[in-house]
Amino acid sequence: MAYSEFTLETALSAFHIEAVDTVGLFSEITTVDPTPHLVTALARKAPLATTIGTEKAKSEMIVADVLVDLLEHFDRNISLFSGIDFNVDVENGLTGVCDFLVSLSPRQSLLEAPVIIIVEAKKDDLLIGLGQCVAEMVAAQRFNAEKGNDIHRVYGTITSGTDWKFLRLEEDNLFIDMSTYTIERCDRILGILSSMVAQKA
Amino acid sequence: MAYSNWALESVVPTFQLEKIDTVGLFSEIEPVPPSEYLTTGLAKKAPLATAIGTEKARSEMIVADVLVDLLDHLDRSISLFSGIDFNVDAENGLTGVCDFLVSLSPNQFYLEAPVIILVEAKNTDVKLGLGQCVAEMLAAQRFNAERGNDIPCVYGASTTGIDWVFLKLEEKCLYFDMSTYTIERCDRILGILSSMVAQKA
Repeated sequence: MAYSEFTLETALSAFHIEAVDTVGLFSEITTVDPTPHLVTALARKAPLATTIGTEKAKSEMIVADVLVDLLEHFDRNISLFSGIDFNVDVENGLTGVCDFLVSLSPRQSLLEAPVIIIVEAKKDDLLIGLGQCVAEMVAAQRFNAEKGNDIHRVYGTITSGTDWKFLRLEEDNLFIDMSTYTIERCDRILGILSSMVAQKA
Repeated sequence: MAYSNWALESVVPTFQLEKIDTVGLFSEIEPVPPSEYLTTGLAKKAPLATAIGTEKARSEMIVADVLVDLLDHLDRSISLFSGIDFNVDAENGLTGVCDFLVSLSPNQFYLEAPVIILVEAKNTDVKLGLGQCVAEMLAAQRFNAERGNDIPCVYGASTTGIDWVFLKLEEKCLYFDMSTYTIERCDRILGILSSMVAQKA
């Protein structure tokens, strides 16, 4: 068992989580302007990524650039990880590789608690990534608690690069924002991610 | 059997290749200055990619940007693919996913012949990617021939993002450049890739 094997249904029942569907949970958040570099990057690469159409292309030509911009917005006081093993609880299936992870620790050479945002990239259907993302958020919650860094909330994102969906896990309550946010409003996406880092989302 | 199962020791005899080691086969090639965007991109992301250290981070924070710059340098008259299936000859183990592929066709929606450059990304040792890269080059040769696009040479690169090694396959002759090129001289790497596209390398 690994993160990728969870569906939303199995993740919710395995970890006794109550899901709350909301509309626009993250919609009122203050926007954050992308750097000129990100604007250029998206203009150059986003159409290419969607034309190639693989999860890999979308991750490397859109998602990675957005997350590096988030890092810079916080003057690199947070850390970003890509494609690392995040093995937290083998017995409960909380093992595997995470597409992207953001930690509040500035240490970039090694993942330290607290993990704040989990990002799952998907080729097209975001709903397919929900279970996996929730399992990774539960793992982050446990990882943080074990390391004595018991932050209040952990956030999740599922994205195709162009479309983004956001989640919040607070103890046993999972809040799903049913709205889908688009990369065309990259300032909103950066705003939401930034407010997650600030634990205000 | 797939590309990733091939080692240099197995692929050379299986396909009866003549291996020719050279020193600096590509070293005299005219450099191509990187765009300002690429220079900024590498300054922002290359140290991050090496700190994270995964193949995924290196691919998305260094290699993809270099290849997009190659595309722009050639006014997008060629196409770039990332993470696509390239199944050419199942019987002979020439199947699997290629990290990156460059085709001389401008069609970006699906892969058309002739495939000119195969790029394998590795997280540490570029040598580990060589056998796989050669297998993909052989597949490209066959793919091109089957489509009546029998160009004389097919090229390969194995890279950690930081270190790059280059290969050339001309019929049964496999030329190795024993030199390793570094991303610090990104102009040389772009020069070599450009001359491959021009079939002058």
